[in-house]
Amino acid sequence: MRLFTAAVPAPAITLDRGGVNWSQMTINGETAKAAQIREFEQQALPLMPQLYGAALRWTRNPSDAEDLIQETFAKAFIAWGQYQQGTNLKAWLYRIMTNTQINLYNKKTKDQAKGSIDELEEWQLGAAESVTSLSSRSAELEAIDKMPSEVIKRALQELPEDFRMVVYYAVVDGLPYSEIAEIMDTPMGTVMSRLHRGKKLLKKLLADYARAEGYDVTEEVPGGKNA
Amino acid sequence: MPEFNCEETKSYVHEFLHNELAESEISEVTAHLANCDSCEGEYDVESLLNKAISRACVDTPPEDLAQKILLRVRDIQNGAPH
Repeated sequence: MRLFTAAVPAPAITLDRGGVNWSQMTINGETAKAAQIREFEQQALPLMPQLYGAALRWTRNPSDAEDLIQETFAKAFIAWGQYQQGTNLKAWLYRIMTNTQINLYNKKTKDQAKGSIDELEEWQLGAAESVTSLSSRSAELEAIDKMPSEVIKRALQELPEDFRMVVYYAVVDGLPYSEIAEIMDTPMGTVMSRLHRGKKLLKKLLADYARAEGYDVTEEVPGGKNA
Repeated sequence: MPEFNCEETKSYVHEFLHNELAESEISEVTAHLANCDSCEGEYDVESLLNKAISRACVDTPPEDLAQKILLRVRDIQNGAPH
């Protein structure tokens, strides 16, 4: 558990500074403060590069991603006393980042976002479209393989936020569904449906690109021919 | 347990690729894929798309970001407004 909860008598003066439990740092105040920074630096900071990738997906630009990371780590440090050693620190940080992003940048409430996005109907997403010509699977695979990363990045940015983040967490970060559910505070079923729909929408966007680039993309009619 | 048909197999593609299936479901899926070019093709496409997404999302944070965080954290500890 926490480093500073050992039997230290309550101090005469209690300073309340934004959630850090300063009252527990008394006799060896300076040492305890240094130890807390060291603990944070050794445990939380190494996870920063991984969180940065997710922050870029949330914000869609490097400058806002940097702000989001700084806010997230500042909040995490303030709340460090609530982190239970031995539990999943990355998930804990991700959760703080989700809340920070929602509070800082999203005017709409989380529930509004949930409602509007998850109610997207199948027909709005269109048929599961192949990325290129349906003439051959090998041509489709080749087209995906040659797809410039910038194009994929842009298509990802066009996905609704909640779809985009689930695709990122599952595909790029490789997080299990249960962990994504915890981070995004949604049921597992929602994670699954967002992943399925997100990938479907991404394929549709990439097919639009492939078509614009002159690939022979045939629209697949729902319930029509099989690729 | 009856073997998975194409519809069932295709509906499990993401759960299969993300290792979210039970042992019994994995054997159902692999048994079907071995005998079905259409489903196997779909699995190949989704799997390659996942690799393409990962390759598009290789991002390195700015070099000074860790240092900025540490400075900020020290400020917070020293009682600076945050």
